[in-house]
Amino acid sequence: MNPVDPRSAQAFRFVRREYSAGEVRLVYAFDDGPELIERIGFPDAPAVLPERQAAFDAALDLLHLIAGVSYYKAGVPSTILVEGTALDVATAGFLDALYVHGLGEFGYHNKIDMRGRIRFPASAASAEMRAMPNGLPRNTLVPIGGGKDSLVSVEVLKRAGESATAVWIGSSGLIESCAQRTGLPMLNIARSISPILFDYNRAGAFNGHIPVTAINSAILVAAAILYGHDAIAFSNERSASSATLEYDGVPINHQWSKGWGFEQSFRDLIHARVAADLNYFSLLRPLSELAVASRFAQNNRYDDVFSSCNRNFRILGPKPSDRWCGQCPKCHFVFLALAPFMPKPRLLGIFGRNLLDDPAQTGGFDALIEYHDHKPFECVGEGRESRAALAELARRAEWREDAVVERFAHEILPQLDAAELAIEPLLVVEGEQRIPAHLLALIESG
Amino acid sequence: MNQASASLAVDAPWVVIKFGGTSVSTRARWDNIASIAATHREAGKRVLIVVSALSGITDLLKGIGEGFADEARCAELLDTIVARHRSLFGELGLLKRNAIDAWMAQLEHLLADPRRAGGGFDWQADVLAIGELSSSTLGSSYLNALGLTTHWLDSRDYLCAEALPNQSAWGRCLSASVRVRHDPAVMAKLAARGDVFIAQGFIARSADGATAVLGRGGSDTSAAYFGALLKAEAVEIWTDVPGMFSANPRQVPDARLLARLDYAEAQEIATTGAKVLHPRCIHPVRDERVPIRIKDTNRPELPGTEIVWNTQSTAPSIKAISSRKGITLVSMESISMWQQVGFLADVFEAFKRHGLSVDLIGSAETNVTVSLDPSDNLLSTDVLARLCVDLEAFCRVKVIAPCAAITLVGRGMRAMLHRLSAVLAEFGALDVHLISQSSNNLNLTFVVDEAVVDALIPRLHALLIRAEVMRVGDAAVFGPSWRELAEEAVSIRLPPWWQRERARLLELAAASTPRYVYSLDQVREQARGLLGLGMVDRWHYALKANPHPQILRCLQVEGFAFECVSWNEVKAVRAALPDLPAERILFTPNFAPRGEYRAALVAGVRVTLDALHPIVEWGADFAGHEIFLRVDLGAGRGHHDKVKTGGAQSKFGVSLDEIETFRSYARQHGARIVGLHAHLGSGILDAQHWRSVYVQLASLAERFNRIEVLDLGGGLGVPSRPEDVPLDLVALGAALAEVKQAYPQFQLWMEPGRYLVAEAGVLLARVTQTKHKGDVHYLGIDAGMNSLIRPALYEAWHEIVNLTRLDAEADDLVQIVGPICETGDVLGSNRRLPTSYENDVILIAEAGAYGAVMSSHYNLREPAGETIL
Repeated sequence: MNPVDPRSAQAFRFVRREYSAGEVRLVYAFDDGPELIERIGFPDAPAVLPERQAAFDAALDLLHLIAGVSYYKAGVPSTILVEGTALDVATAGFLDALYVHGLGEFGYHNKIDMRGRIRFPASAASAEMRAMPNGLPRNTLVPIGGGKDSLVSVEVLKRAGESATAVWIGSSGLIESCAQRTGLPMLNIARSISPILFDYNRAGAFNGHIPVTAINSAILVAAAILYGHDAIAFSNERSASSATLEYDGVPINHQWSKGWGFEQSFRDLIHARVAADLNYFSLLRPLSELAVASRFAQNNRYDDVFSSCNRNFRILGPKPSDRWCGQCPKCHFVFLALAPFMPKPRLLGIFGRNLLDDPAQTGGFDALIEYHDHKPFECVGEGRESRAALAELARRAEWREDAVVERFAHEILPQLDAAELAIEPLLVVEGEQRIPAHLLALIESG
Repeated sequence: MNQASASLAVDAPWVVIKFGGTSVSTRARWDNIASIAATHREAGKRVLIVVSALSGITDLLKGIGEGFADEARCAELLDTIVARHRSLFGELGLLKRNAIDAWMAQLEHLLADPRRAGGGFDWQADVLAIGELSSSTLGSSYLNALGLTTHWLDSRDYLCAEALPNQSAWGRCLSASVRVRHDPAVMAKLAARGDVFIAQGFIARSADGATAVLGRGGSDTSAAYFGALLKAEAVEIWTDVPGMFSANPRQVPDARLLARLDYAEAQEIATTGAKVLHPRCIHPVRDERVPIRIKDTNRPELPGTEIVWNTQSTAPSIKAISSRKGITLVSMESISMWQQVGFLADVFEAFKRHGLSVDLIGSAETNVTVSLDPSDNLLSTDVLARLCVDLEAFCRVKVIAPCAAITLVGRGMRAMLHRLSAVLAEFGALDVHLISQSSNNLNLTFVVDEAVVDALIPRLHALLIRAEVMRVGDAAVFGPSWRELAEEAVSIRLPPWWQRERARLLELAAASTPRYVYSLDQVREQARGLLGLGMVDRWHYALKANPHPQILRCLQVEGFAFECVSWNEVKAVRAALPDLPAERILFTPNFAPRGEYRAALVAGVRVTLDALHPIVEWGADFAGHEIFLRVDLGAGRGHHDKVKTGGAQSKFGVSLDEIETFRSYARQHGARIVGLHAHLGSGILDAQHWRSVYVQLASLAERFNRIEVLDLGGGLGVPSRPEDVPLDLVALGAALAEVKQAYPQFQLWMEPGRYLVAEAGVLLARVTQTKHKGDVHYLGIDAGMNSLIRPALYEAWHEIVNLTRLDAEADDLVQIVGPICETGDVLGSNRRLPTSYENDVILIAEAGAYGAVMSSHYNLREPAGETIL
C-alpha cells in the first residue's frame, strides 16, 4: 500500500468505536483513506455490569475522542467530523482545549497555529448533566510510570491503608519491575497504535508531541468502570502546570495534560458525563518536584529498579546505565533534585556515575536553571527549584568541589538573588488540588 | 567401603581436607567426602576432615544469637535447626540418634540459659558452635557406618584462641585468632588412635576455657590451623569451583585457572576480589610451609589451584586481574600540607572518628586521596557529609564515586611495568583517579569510574595476555580457561584451508613471490556462516577490506550488498558487478569532498552522512533524498587504537549532542533520515558488543519519525592468536534476536569486511637472508611492509609458518623481517619456526583483508601480486 500524505487531507473523521471481549477498537480516517484502528486490551476483562453499561459506553466515547489526537496530528486538517454520535457544547469545548493546548508543542515545532484549526462540531445543546453513581468499590488505580513520582504516590496510598492497584499501559519491563516492587496487585493494559500511522509518517505526515496523559487518563476511566475502582490517583506535581515557553503570545506547556487545568476540566467532564462516583485527582498536585524528591529519598525500596530517564529502555540490564542514560534533561533533573535529600554515595550508586562532576553535562544543567537557555521541552521541574538545589549543594562540603557545582558557585550564584535560593519555601505544600482529605494529611506530613 | 585393614605407620603423612556447608548437607555429598578421605587413606595418608555447619545453619544460629531478646523467634529458629538435622539424619539412614540429639538438647539448654537474656558474646559463641559440632557428629556416624573408621575430635581441644591486646569482647568471642605451631606430640597421640579423623571448622577455645568462633572464612582458617599443627603434607579446600582464576570467570570467561601460586600472591588475589579462599587462611600455613590446594568437589580429577611457599617460576608474570566495585574516594587538597607536621594525622583522625576505614592511599605534596570500601553506613547515613564538614577545617575535599579498584597481581610487578604499554593505553582513555603500587611489589591498582569496569576487565585480561605479561603459555602456572572447563573440552579449530592446499601454494610460490593467494571457498564459508544467523535483514560487504573483483562477484552471488567509503570504490563495484542495483550500494564516506556525495546521489546509491558539515553547508544537495546518519555512540572498541572508530578522539560520526542540530537541518532541507548507522571498531570477538550498540541505536531511533534501518556496522573479529576464541555466531545471533524482538519495527543491517576475507587470504614469500645479531635471529623474506603493513601499523599478529618445512620441529626463535628500509618492517617478532634456509617458502596467514589493498611501492619495491585459487 502506498498511502497518501495525510497533510493533504480535507477532514479527519472519528469513524466509530467498538468493544468486545476486553478489546476496544477506536477507528479513525482521513477523508476516504484507510481506517486507522487503535486497539486497547483489558486483560481478563470481566463482563460489564448492567448498571455500569451506560457509564462504560460514555467512557469509551470519550476515549475515542481523546485518543484521536494521535492520528489527527498526522495531517491537522481544518475539518473534524465526528460520526455516529453528537457532541454537546461542553464536551466539544473540552476537546477543543485539549487539542489546542495538548498539541501546543507539536504546533510550535511544526510551525502550525493550532488555534485557528481545531473546531469540534457541537450539535447538541449542553444541558446541565449529571452522570449517575455506579456503586464503584473503594479501590484506587494508581498509574505507574517507572519514575519516582508514582512510586511516592504508591507509598502514600500504602501508608493510608488504601486498597490500590498498580496499573500501566503498554509493555515495559522497567515499569513492570517497579510495579512488582510496590507489592500491590497489578494491571497491565495493552495498547497498540494503528500501523498505518507508520506508513503515513514515511509519506511525510506531521509528527511530534501529543498529550499522552490525557489518553492514558481516558483509558483508565474505562478501566475503572470495567474492573471496579472508585478513584484514579495520578502523580502530577505542581510544576507540571507551568508553561515551558511562550510563542507568539501563547504559553506552551510540554506537559499540558499533566497540568491542573486539564485535571480539573477532565474530572468535571467525567463527573458530568461518565460516573459521578469516580474520583480523578493527582496525589502530588500541591508538591514541587523537590518536595516529591525529598519524599522519594525517604525510602530506598526502589533504588535499583526505578528510572525517570527519557530514553525508552526496552531491554533492561542490571547496571545503572541500563536505566539512566545520564544525558537527557530528565536524568539531569532527577539527579539534581535527589542530591540534597540523600547520602551522596547512595545517589551515585543509583545513577552509576556523578553527573554533577562531568563538565560535559554543564549545558544540560544550565538549561535546568534557565541560564543561557530556555527550559527544555521535557517534564522537569521549575528553574528556581533547580537553582535552589544547586545552591544547596554549593553549601555542602561533599558536593561543592564537583565540576558543575563549583562552576555554579563561582560563575552563576553571585548573579542570583540569594533570597530566592532557599529550599525550604519550595517544600511547602500549597496550591490548587483536589486530594481526598485523609490522603492530603499524609502528603502534608511529609 | 573397604578400608585397608592394617593401621598406618606412626609417621605417616597427614592430609587435611575441608568441606563447606553445601558439601555436608546431603547424603550424596557425604559419600563424596568418604571417597576422597578413603582415597587419601589408601595412598598411605592420615586424614583429618574439617567441616562447616550444614548450609544455612550458621545464619539461623546467628539469628538466635543476635535476636536473643525475642524468645518466641528463638524457639522458632530452634525448631527449624532441629528439623534440618533430623532430616539429614534420616537421609543418611543412621540408626542411633542419641549423638545428634545431644547437640540439639544442648542448643535447647542454651536457650534456657540465663546468659540468653543479656545476649553476651560468650553465649553467642556457644550457640554458633552447635552448627559445626552437629554436622561433624552426623558425618562421623555416617562415615563409620560406611565402614571408614573415623574418630571424632573436638576442635576446641586442639585450637586455642589467642588473646590480643586491645581486643574487644566481640573480637575475643566471635572473631578469634589462633596461634598454632607444629606439635609432634599431638601428631603422635592422634596416630596412636587411628587413621581418619573428623573435626569442626570455625570453633576454638579461649584460654579461660570458653568457646570462641573464628569469624568469616572460619572453616578455611581452621583447616589451615590444623594443617600447621599437624605439619600436613597438604591442606585441601574442597569447593564447588575448580580453583582460583586469573580473573572473575563471570566477568571474563577466558580467565585461566591458576595452577600454582605462592602464598603472598594467593593472599593478594583473595583480598582484592576472589571469593574462593578466605585470605585469613594463608597466614597459618605460611610458617610451616604447608601447601593449600583448592579442589573441585564435582570434578576431583582436576588439579585445582596449589598454593605453595615458592612457585619456582623465574619469569615474572601477572597472575590475576581483579576488581572491587562500590569504592568511594575522598580527595583532600591543601596548599599548606607541604612539610606540615601532623596533617595526615589530622586527616586520619577524622576518618577514625567517623568510623570509616581507609584502604588505598595516594599522596602528593598538596593532595592526599584515600579510598573507602563499600559499607552500609555510607549509603544509608550522612556519615560522609559529616566527615567532609570536619575535613574542610584543614583542606578542600572532593568526593569521587562510584569507583572501582582494578588490581593486577603478580610477583615482581615493577619488573613488568615497561611491558604494560598496551594496558596503560587502555587506562589512558579513562579517568584514573588513583594509582597505587604496593611496596611489596605484588600489586598495581588503578581506581577508575565504576561504570567502565565490566567492559574493561575482559579487555585488560586479553591485553595482558597479548602483551605477554600474563604468561598463559606457562603451564606450570596457568591451567585451562573457565570457558574450556565449562565446555569440558578445548574447542578445536579446524585446520586452515592452506594446509590442504599446500602443494598448490608451493607451486605458485615457485613461480613468483611475494604473492597473495585467496580461497573463494573460504570466503563463501564465512559468508554462509553469517547468512545462517537469519537475524540480519541485509548484509553488506565492506569492500575496503579487499576489493578484488572475483571476491565481489562471489559475495554478490551469496546475496551480499556492498558498502563503499569512496566514490572510486562505488565505481569499482559497479564495474565488477554491472547488474547490481544502485540501492544495494551503501556509500559511507568520511570527510569526502562534496562532489563525491553529489555523484552518489545522482547514481542512486544510499548515502550516509557522518558530520554536520554536509547537511549544514550543502543541505540543498540532499533535498528530497533519503539519507543515513552515522552517529558516534561514544566509546570506541577494537584491537588497537588506530582501529577504534568511536569516541571524541575518533573522526567518525556525529556525536550524540549534535544529533538534534543535524535533524533540524535535515528537516529544513527536506532530507529524510531513514537509517542510523554506528560502527565502533574492528576485531571485536565479544557478541555482547553488538547487542549493546543495537540497543543504543534502537532507543535513539525511537526518537526519530522515519527511521527504518539500523546499521550496526562491522567489526566482527577474526581470531588470530592461538588462544583467541572465535566469535560465537550462536551467541551473536541470540544477542541480536533479543534486541530485534524488542524493536521489530527496524530493519537490521550489518557490514562486515575483514570477517569475510581475512582467513581467505595468505601472503607467500621466500626467505632472502638470515642474520644473527647478538642473541637475536633475523629471518629476512621478500615480502615487506609495502605488501602487508598491518603488523607495522596496527601491531597486528599474523600466524607465520615455513610452508616448505611445515612438519619440522619449530624450535628457532626468530624475528621475521622484510626488505624495506624501516626499523618497523617486521612481520612477526619472537616466532618459533623450524630452522629456515634461503628460498624456503614462508606463509603469512589471515592476510586476505587490508593486505594487498593497503600495499605500496615504498622503496620502489613491487608489492605482492594477487592470485585466486
